[in-house]
Amino acid sequence: MTTLNSRERVLKLFAGEEVDRPPCFSGMGNVTTEGLKSLNQKFAATHLDAKMMAAAAASTYKLFGFEGAVAPFDLCIEAEAMGCEINVYAHSEDLLYPTIKKKLIHNEAEMEIAIPSDITTRGRVPLMVEAIKLMKKDIGAEAVVGSYVLGPFTLAGQVMELNDLLKLSFKKPDKIGKLLDQLTDVIIQVAGQYEKAGVDFITVREMGATSDVLSPRVFKSLILPYLQKIFAKIKVPSVIHICGKTNDIVPSMADSGAKAISVDQKNDVAETRKKLGPKALVFGNYDPYNVLVAGTPDQVRQTIRKCMDDGVSAVWPGCDIWPTVPAENFKTMMDEVRKYRR
Amino acid sequence: MATEEKKKELLAKLKNAVISYDEDTSKEAAQEALDAGMEANDAIFNGLVSGMVEVGRMFEAQEYFVPELLMCADALYAGLDILKPHVKQLDLGVKGSVVIGTVEGDVHDIGKNIVKMMFDVAGFTVYDLGRDVPLDKFVAEQLRTDSDLVCLSAMMTTTMTGMKKVIDDLRAKNPNVKIMIGGAPVSQDVADKYGADGYAKDATNALKDAINMIASLKKMKDEVEAKKAK
Ligand code: B12
Repeated sequence: MTTLNSRERVLKLFAGEEVDRPPCFSGMGNVTTEGLKSLNQKFAATHLDAKMMAAAAASTYKLFGFEGAVAPFDLCIEAEAMGCEINVYAHSEDLLYPTIKKKLIHNEAEMEIAIPSDITTRGRVPLMVEAIKLMKKDIGAEAVVGSYVLGPFTLAGQVMELNDLLKLSFKKPDKIGKLLDQLTDVIIQVAGQYEKAGVDFITVREMGATSDVLSPRVFKSLILPYLQKIFAKIKVPSVIHICGKTNDIVPSMADSGAKAISVDQKNDVAETRKKLGPKALVFGNYDPYNVLVAGTPDQVRQTIRKCMDDGVSAVWPGCDIWPTVPAENFKTMMDEVRKYRR
Repeated sequence: MATEEKKKELLAKLKNAVISYDEDTSKEAAQEALDAGMEANDAIFNGLVSGMVEVGRMFEAQEYFVPELLMCADALYAGLDILKPHVKQLDLGVKGSVVIGTVEGDVHDIGKNIVKMMFDVAGFTVYDLGRDVPLDKFVAEQLRTDSDLVCLSAMMTTTMTGMKKVIDDLRAKNPNVKIMIGGAPVSQDVADKYGADGYAKDATNALKDAINMIASLKKMKDEVEAKKAK
């Protein structure tokens, strides 16, 4: 086999073809403080400027050989386009991730909402389109360029009070269903815009529906149908990500229509592999903080090796790459993956 | 006075109302308990709270998830609202007040809300600042309310460092206040390093520790008063 570049390796994997080794990339945020330092950029400003965002995302490939670049880094794009105000903590020198400052729905009575018809031109959606194009131009021939959208339940948690959302999921599933349906449309539109801009793959992050919070039964009956609707519309390779406990819902995740499923360190991947068979694409599942940031290089090696021995299709973090990852650990991870032969 | 049998029946009704997250039955049973001449304390602790203890067990066993927990809490609050005005004196030995919140930059508040509920149940006065709370607001609120305890929650390793600032600030302004921290990235080690008085890995332990801390605080105050009196 001739050597593949990172982009070819990932695309072949998504296409179900043989690859020389699992690729090492992510569909979630991958900005690092090392990258920001090399660009002389502030974290807070990076969320608001397409050039800075694209440069920060690509720097992880350039500095460490991570096999893809992904923007954005926060979870507020869709909610902001719907009219929520966000906070980027411009005053802070710490690594504070943007959050929703004001929700759209404050109680059950406010659940009838109208979705703006021009959603794809609002908030930072145009900025995202620009950032994707810039990443493509910069490193698109060598590495994959991706983006993510939220899953409908997680997005619902951004636009309304989470306590209400959780309780009403039980008490008034019809009402919640209607909202999820509207949000599904928003997500499809935003993802469509990213596709037009040229992303190679899209991850749908439904972390609000983890079994740490919600029962597998409710996940299946209330949320899965909308995820299926979303994945039926995404044309580029797609990934469903859920963190926390997921062993009981991996069959549902595989049923969502996503090309690959992504799980975190709480998942027993060897068991998941058994459940889903040798062909399923399972991405995971190292702990991006406790191992990659806080672990020793030795621990990084062992963990990454175990992921691959357990049978992940791609070495991929359980959540966002945590920005303060030490360069040595990052390089150790890449080295361990490159050495690996099945 | 209620017969032993009637009492048992009502306590079971209160307990089950909480477990089956039935607000109406919880209110009804609370009123019946008062009408039957039962002690409000008895109804709260051996009825409602014992229901919540069972709910906690079911949560740990993954029979219940966060939505169920929140609904059970609503059922508990519904009964509590009726019983609380009739509570003579809480027999916990302490009656504290708490300032609680999730620190700036962090919107994870599911865990914090569960901890808060435990304090409510135990009869503490709770000042809940919510989530993403500017760091200096904790200090201001503690001074405003003269609370015995400040509880900080953080779910991210980056926001966790904000706790240190709050702790230093609180210590400077009010050396006597007790501080407890928690959340997924927090550990006893972190608590020691930051100079917090306590850490708990879950809501039940948080309450136990809080009661101990406040009790020791009260004892200290009493000793000071006693010395002054001499
Ligand atoms: C749900 C969730 C969200 C929701 C939060 C909704 C909400 N209103 O809370 C949403 C989708 C909004 C979200 C957003 C983000 N999240 Co999040 N999220 C989670 C998730 C899946 C579950 C957390 C949870 O609620 N658990 C259930 C509760 C019951 O448990 P608990 O919080 O631990 O609480 C218990 C104890 O800790 C303790 N306790 C809690 N507080 C206190 C306080 C005191 C005083 C005491 C004594 C005890 C105590 O008692 C509680 C009850 O027993 C976790 C992963 C996980 N599985 O833990 C990630 C996680 C916390 N998130 C993470 C990240 C990275 C993010 C984002 C930055 C992502 C992004 N790119 O923007 C944003 C953060 C935005 C911000 N600035 O805050 C990371 C943090 C990583 C790190 N090293 O710091 C985690 C760990 C995921 C991961 N695997 O990496 N998230």
